[in-house]
Amino acid sequence: MARTTGNKNIQAKLVLLGDMGTGKTSLVLRFVKGQFFDYQESTIGAAFFTQVLSLNEATIKFDIWDTAGQERYHSLAPMYYRGAAAAVVVYDITSMESFERAKKWVQELQRQGNPNLIMFLAANKADLEEKRKVGVEDGEQYAKENGLVFLETSAKTAQNVNELFYEIAKRLAKASPSRQTGMKLHSRSQESGRRLFCCSG
Amino acid sequence: MSSDSSSTSGGEFTNPNPSPNSTSKPLEDQFASAALTEPDNEPPEIQESPNGVANGSVGENSHGEIESNEREGAVGSNLEARQSVRWRRTNSEVEVEAPSSPSSSGYAGERGSSSGSGSSGGFDMIGGGIGGGDDEEIQEVSNVDSIQDSQASWMPGKRHVDEAKERGQRGIYYGNIVMIEVGVGNRDGEGFQCSTTISDPVMVVVVLVALVVAVTMVTELVDDASLSWRKRKKHFFILSNSGKPIYSRYGDEHKLAGFSATLQAIISFVENGGDRVKLVRAGNHQVVFLVKGPIYLVCISCTEEPYESLRGQLELIYGQMLLILTKSVNRCFEKNPKFDMTPLLGGTDVVFSSLIHSFSWNPATFLHAYTCLPLAYATRQAAGAILQDVADSGVLFAILMCKHKVISLVGAQKASLHPDDMLLLANFVMSSESFRTSESFSPICLPRYNPMAFLYAYVHYLDVDTYLMLLTTSSDAFYHLKDCRIRIEMVLLRSNVLSEVQRSMLDGGMHVEDLPTDPLPRSGTLSPHLGQPRDSHESLREPFVGIGGPAGLWHFMYRSIFLDQYVSSEFSPPINSPRKQKRLYRAYQNLYASMHDKGIGPHKTQFRRDENYVLLCWVTQDFELYAAFDPLADKAVAIKTCNRVCQWVKDVENEIFLLGASPFSW
Repeated sequence: MARTTGNKNIQAKLVLLGDMGTGKTSLVLRFVKGQFFDYQESTIGAAFFTQVLSLNEATIKFDIWDTAGQERYHSLAPMYYRGAAAAVVVYDITSMESFERAKKWVQELQRQGNPNLIMFLAANKADLEEKRKVGVEDGEQYAKENGLVFLETSAKTAQNVNELFYEIAKRLAKASPSRQTGMKLHSRSQESGRRLFCCSG
Repeated sequence: MSSDSSSTSGGEFTNPNPSPNSTSKPLEDQFASAALTEPDNEPPEIQESPNGVANGSVGENSHGEIESNEREGAVGSNLEARQSVRWRRTNSEVEVEAPSSPSSSGYAGERGSSSGSGSSGGFDMIGGGIGGGDDEEIQEVSNVDSIQDSQASWMPGKRHVDEAKERGQRGIYYGNIVMIEVGVGNRDGEGFQCSTTISDPVMVVVVLVALVVAVTMVTELVDDASLSWRKRKKHFFILSNSGKPIYSRYGDEHKLAGFSATLQAIISFVENGGDRVKLVRAGNHQVVFLVKGPIYLVCISCTEEPYESLRGQLELIYGQMLLILTKSVNRCFEKNPKFDMTPLLGGTDVVFSSLIHSFSWNPATFLHAYTCLPLAYATRQAAGAILQDVADSGVLFAILMCKHKVISLVGAQKASLHPDDMLLLANFVMSSESFRTSESFSPICLPRYNPMAFLYAYVHYLDVDTYLMLLTTSSDAFYHLKDCRIRIEMVLLRSNVLSEVQRSMLDGGMHVEDLPTDPLPRSGTLSPHLGQPRDSHESLREPFVGIGGPAGLWHFMYRSIFLDQYVSSEFSPPINSPRKQKRLYRAYQNLYASMHDKGIGPHKTQFRRDENYVLLCWVTQDFELYAAFDPLADKAVAIKTCNRVCQWVKDVENEIFLLGASPFSW
């Protein structure tokens, strides 16, 4: 849950979910350390990172939980996403299976019932256009229907990676109690969120 | 023999050994009591107790000794019946069986057979295997049966029996243990031996047929695609009791479905009879089985390691699996016998391969003890104090390690950590690159602590090799553990523990060259010596002067039984190449197995000489010492040197062991 310490400092728990090998760790490492490894070993349990982002309106301190995609850790996921202010569900555009998996994660988060949870859908590995199995429209469409923010990303080329986290930060800043004016994005996400729960309920 | 007495190295007893310059040592006494005078080049092994190990000779490798050991032990037990079996196999048969090669059979194709329910499906497999062979193979089966004087309806000639007797093939059947040796025709002089607990002779036949099929798959197939697979010296498999592959050290386990099904058929069939297959020997291959509920583990090896060692390795592999999944995975099999477990172990190949690799270098895998990084007493105390602090705040175990060596560890009250669990945990953490990336919080299970439940491990690398593990039962404890880590890290930095750790890593631990001189003649400071010639015997071994420690001491391992810890000397010339280190490791492994053989042991001392080493082992209720010397080392001097090693270990135990706070084995 995002909490405000002082006027503009927000500490927010962010969780990344998705099938194994979709690039969750790579996204985080690109964002936190500016690194990318062609071969990134499987995450065990969950890795914890922190990163601070300064916006004009607030300073966001992210507590990032990069969860393992392996099936055996699935049942333990609530331990990591409980109390999260934002969730990034990641799939790999070269794997339809990972997209299906992402939908399951979205459903699980929705069932979990935190209406304020900011959810992003990251279509990762956008650099592998020639191997694409999941169309941009498919992702967009699904995101729209479920009130997610959609971005195509590539941890390898850094495409949209910082944008992803900045966008989350902005929304968190807007959503935080010391809200300021200019609520366009926020209100839209609220609306879509509401719609989402109507539909799923 | 107590460690106290061992420490009285300046004792005043007269040494019965005719060695010059003798001081009385317990070890020497023991050897003397075994009537070991020492003609230096005496070929046979000398051992105190009357077991098979004594029959080894200089030219024989140690495995041979162990094996004969095993057989003699078996013969020595209650022997109720004897049977002889001789199977002939031809190359053509082998090729007929080739289609069931793991590599030539697609997973989808094999899935049907492996999912055939229970052992009957497996039986079809076996039947198929036999049917696929030519008539001769059927004949073999009936032949075996005739020997076992049942099912006389399809009795062939007796000639095979006679032949078997002629060839000296042995099959022993007594009580519920069967050991059968079958000559495989196309491999001259190589036996096929099976050690099981099978009470029904008829079952033995069927099992043997299946075993031959299985072993053949590994050793005989002539399929090019699987050539490299078959060439591997040591295979490990995990499979489910429905025959689904779970893990294979080499090759894609999904492509091994047919092979898994065969293994499953063998094991399940015997299991269903209330019996158990333990070991099959085929030529120089051993097939070792371990059944753990719905999980079957199999090792196929031609490394000549003793059965006990291989079995212990399977136990550790099973433990590693539990560490990742807990025993509750069994429930998945209860719900669905055909449950496919491979996805659950996704991404853990590296954990298992690292563990299997450690079977050839890490003595902890057979000593069941852990080792500490050598550190000044005060340094280790400082580390222990802060860990204790943290443990008092609700952490179950706080463990600070550098690679596979413990810097310090603390357990909450009444919580005790088994050395095997430590080994598996350290292996898990070190082999998973993920832990180095950032701090992690992961569920793990300590199989010896509680195989059913997850603990939660906070893992953080403090530097490249040094990592802290904080274990808790609470899944919500991450932030608390993170705070603990920050406190610990601060204290460790402030008290220079981390820089001391780095220094110790560079300096290493005990070097045999530094073995202090005999305190008696040169009392005073114990200055280290680098291979300085010390005895008249040394002059006989000129090529080795300046290599290794005094008296030709090359290496030693000392295990404190009370502490559950061991210390191993650093490798130095001539044991300086990985190959030589591995060979020594295997020699120790054999030595350990022969000392702890339940049938004929345990023993107190063993002195063994072959073309590679003189190996000396001394087991008391307080410690075990394993030492390797130059093969030409003088025995009396070697024994004396061992006493000095023990004394040395005592002298520096503050630095090499974690004392006092041990939460182990109370």
